[in-house]
Amino acid sequence: MAGFLQQIVTGLGAGAIYASLALALVLIYQFTGIVNFAQGELAMFSTYIAWTLVAAGVSFWLALVITLVVSFAGGMLIERIVIRPVEGAPELTIVIVTVGLFIFVNAAAGWIWTFLIKDFPNPFPGGALELGAVTVNFSTLGVLGVVGLVMGLLYLLFQHTKIGLGMRAVATNPASARLVGIRVGWTLALGWGLAATVGAVSGVLVAPLLFLEPNMMAGVLIYAFAAATLGGFDSPVGAVIGGLIVGVAETLAGAYVGFIGSDLKIGVPLLIILAVLLLRPQGLFGRAAVERA
Amino acid sequence: MSDLVVDGLVAGYGDVRVLHGVSFGVKQGEVCAILGPNGAGKTTLLRALSGMVRTRGTATLGGTELAGRSPDTVARLGVAHVPEGRGTFMPLTVEDNLRLGAFVRRGRAEIEADLDRIFTYFPVLKTRLKQEAGSLSGGEQQMLALGRALMLRPRLLLLDEPSLGLAPLVTRELFRIVQAINAEEQTTVVVVEQNAHLALGIAQQAHVLETGRIVLSGTAEEIRADEQVAQSYLGYRV
Amino acid sequence: MTESTKTDEKTSAPPATVKTPAATRWRWGALAVLLVLAVYAPFQLAPFYVFQLTMVLVYAVALLGLNLLVGHAGQISLGHGAFFAIGAYTAAILMERAALPYPLTLPVAAAVAFLIGLGLGVPAMRLRGLYLALVTLAIAIFLVPLLKRFEELTGGSMGLTLAKPQPPAWTGLAEDQWLYFIALIVAVGTFLLVASLLRSRVGRALHAVRDNEIAAEVMGVRLSFYKTLAFAWSAMLAGVAGSVYTWVIGFVSPDSFTVNLSINLLAGIVVGGLGSLSGPVLGGLFVMFVPSISQDINDAAPGVIFGLLIIAVMYVAPTGLAGLAGRLIKKIPRKKE
Repeated sequence: MAGFLQQIVTGLGAGAIYASLALALVLIYQFTGIVNFAQGELAMFSTYIAWTLVAAGVSFWLALVITLVVSFAGGMLIERIVIRPVEGAPELTIVIVTVGLFIFVNAAAGWIWTFLIKDFPNPFPGGALELGAVTVNFSTLGVLGVVGLVMGLLYLLFQHTKIGLGMRAVATNPASARLVGIRVGWTLALGWGLAATVGAVSGVLVAPLLFLEPNMMAGVLIYAFAAATLGGFDSPVGAVIGGLIVGVAETLAGAYVGFIGSDLKIGVPLLIILAVLLLRPQGLFGRAAVERA
Repeated sequence: MSDLVVDGLVAGYGDVRVLHGVSFGVKQGEVCAILGPNGAGKTTLLRALSGMVRTRGTATLGGTELAGRSPDTVARLGVAHVPEGRGTFMPLTVEDNLRLGAFVRRGRAEIEADLDRIFTYFPVLKTRLKQEAGSLSGGEQQMLALGRALMLRPRLLLLDEPSLGLAPLVTRELFRIVQAINAEEQTTVVVVEQNAHLALGIAQQAHVLETGRIVLSGTAEEIRADEQVAQSYLGYRV
Repeated sequence: MTESTKTDEKTSAPPATVKTPAATRWRWGALAVLLVLAVYAPFQLAPFYVFQLTMVLVYAVALLGLNLLVGHAGQISLGHGAFFAIGAYTAAILMERAALPYPLTLPVAAAVAFLIGLGLGVPAMRLRGLYLALVTLAIAIFLVPLLKRFEELTGGSMGLTLAKPQPPAWTGLAEDQWLYFIALIVAVGTFLLVASLLRSRVGRALHAVRDNEIAAEVMGVRLSFYKTLAFAWSAMLAGVAGSVYTWVIGFVSPDSFTVNLSINLLAGIVVGGLGSLSGPVLGGLFVMFVPSISQDINDAAPGVIFGLLIIAVMYVAPTGLAGLAGRLIKKIPRKKE
C-alpha cells in the first residue's frame, strides 16, 4: 500500500511537469485553434537560456526571471513573424509550419549549445519529507508548488484583469472582440508569449530530472499532448488535471505492468490519446467536441 | 450639419462588390433607418462603417475618417456595432460581456456608473449577471448586445436587424428602449431592419437600399407615406 | 452534379497537376530524359555516389506514400518513419530468422505495413487531421523502445546485420549497381502504380476529400473509408521503401528510425512538393543530400535548413519545388500569347 502511494506521489511530480507544458499547448489552442508542435522545443530553448545564464554565474532565480521575460518576448515575436503570415490558412499548412519551427528550433539549439548533454541545476533542496511510509522529495513538492503557482497566476490573469478578459473574449469570439475595440492581433501574440513563458517553466522543471539536451522535450511533448487531449484542448484546468492523471498512470503502469517496465512507458500517453479520441474526443473537461471528419 | 457623412462608399467581399457608391448623412442625435430587401447590402453597409470589410470612398464621423480603418480602431473612435447574430461572447458571463463593451474606456467609477445605468434600461440583465451569456433567451441576448454597445458610450450606434429571431412583443419593447436611449443619450443611431414599420417608428430619416445603391431617401414620414415604396421595397401595405 | 465536381477539382488542384498540353509534353520529355539518365548514371559514377542515388530512390518511394496521404488526401503524418521501420524490420527479420530469399520480403513487408496502417488508420482517421499528426508522432516516438524491447526478434539496440543481395553473375553488375537497379525498378513500379491510382476514381475521391471534406461527404464520398485507405496505402509504400532500405544498407537498428526520420520525410515531401508526382523525387534528393552536404558545416545545419525551408515553402509555394517548377512551365506559353 505504501509502495502504491509512493508511486502516486512520484507520478504526481512527473504529471505536474506534463501539466505545465500541456497548459502552454492549451493556451495557444484556445486563442488560435493551433496545436503548436514546436511548444516543447521552445521550452527546451528557454531552458538553454537559463542554463547559459546560470553557467555565466547568475543566480538561479534571477536567471529564471530573465528566462521567463525573454521567453515571453520570444513567444510574441514568433507569433508575429512566423505564425501571422499563415493565420487563417488551412490547418494542414499551420501544422506543417509549427513542425518546421520544431525542426528549426531543435537544430538551432544544437548549433548554439551542441548536442552534448548538460547538467542543469536543481533549484530545490535535496532532502525529502517523510509522511508515514511515504517519502516526498522536496524537488517533487517544489515542482508541484511551482505548477500550482503558475496555475494560480494564470487564473488571476484571466479572471481578474482587463487584459485577461480581453484574451478570453478573443478566444471565444475574435470578430466580436474586434468590434469592442480589442487589438486581436496583439492579443494573439500575447497568448503565444504567455504560452512560451509557461512552457519555459516546464522546461526548467524537467531539465534537472532529464539532463539538458536539444531532444529533451520530444518525449515530454507527447505526454503533454496526452494530457491536453485527456483534459480537453480548450480547458486549462483540464490540461492540468489531465497532466497529473497521465503522470500517475505512466508511473503506475511502469511499476506494476511488467510488460511496460520503464522503457515502454512512452506507450502510455499513446494509449491514452487513442482511448480518449475514440471514447470522448472532447476530453474530460472540454466544451466543444472535436470536429469529427 | 450631419455628424456621420458617408460619401461614395464602395464595399464587398473578395471580388464581389456589394455596395456601389452609397452616400448619405445622419445628424447628431438622430435615428436613421436603412431599409431594403434581403441581399441589398444593408449588413455590408454597417460592416463597411465599422471596418469589417474592405472599402473605398469615405465615411466620416464628426470629421474623423472611419473608412479603411480596422474594427478595433473604429470602436476606439466611438462607434458601437451590434452585428448580425449579436456578437455575444457565449461562454462568458453577462457581466464580462458588458464590461467588454467598455474595454477601450478608462475610468473605473464611470464604468461602474454606466453599468447601473444600463440596468435601468434592462433590469433583467442585473438578475443574470453571473450567468453564462449563452444561456440567455434570444431577447435577453439582444438586450445584452445593446447593453454591451452602450458601455462604449458610443457616439454612433450601428444596429443590425435587432428584431431578427425575436417575438413581436419583445421586438417592440426593444425598439422602445432604443428610442429611449437615443432620446436620453443623444446617441446617433443607424439601424438596419427588415421590419420597416418598426424602424420607421423610431427613425427621423430613412434610406431604401437596393442591390447596393440607395434608391430612395427621405424623412421617415415621407418613406412611410410612399405607397409604392411600401409595396415594392418594404413588403407591406399602408 | 458530376460536371460541377470535375470543374471544382481542376480549379483547386495544385498547379503542377493541371494538365495543359504544353505541360504534359514537357513532362513526358523530362521523364524520358530522366529515365535514360537514371539507367546511365550507375555506370559513370563512383560506388559511393551510386549508393547515394540508391538511397534517393528509397526515400522517393517512402515520400511517394507520404505524398499520397499529405498531398493528395490532405492528412498529415508525423510518423511515417515508423512504417518505414516496420518494412525494414520485416525484411530484416525474414531474411535473418526465416532465411527467406530477399525478393520475397518486399511483398510481406508491404502487407505488414499496410495492415498496421489500416489498423491504426481506422481510429485515427475518424478524427481531424490534427489528431492524426499527434497520434502518428506518438507512434514514431514509441516505436524505438518497442524495437529495442523485442530483442530475440529484432536484435535489440544492436540491431540486425544482414548479407546484402548479390548480383546474379549474368548481369555483370557490381553490388552497388545491382542494388541501385533494384531500387530503380521498385521506384518506377510504385510510381506507375500511384500515378494510375490517382487517375482512377479513387484519386478523384481523395482530392475531393482534401479540398473540401464537407462537400465531398455531401457528394457521397465515403470520407473515412478513403482516408483510412490512403493512410494504409501510404504506410504500405513506406514499408516497401523500408524493405529496399534493408537490402541496400544490410543493417537495421532502432536508432536508424528515430522520430527524426519521420520529420525528415515530412520535410522532404513539403519541400519537394505536395500533391505532385515529381515532388517525391525532389524530396528524396533533399532528404539525402541536404544533410550529407550541410553536415560538414555543423551537425545542426540540416535541421536549420529543413526548418527554415519548410516554413518558407508554406509561405511562398505551398506546392513545393515541384509546384514552383510547374508554375514556371505554365507561365512560358502564357507569355507568348
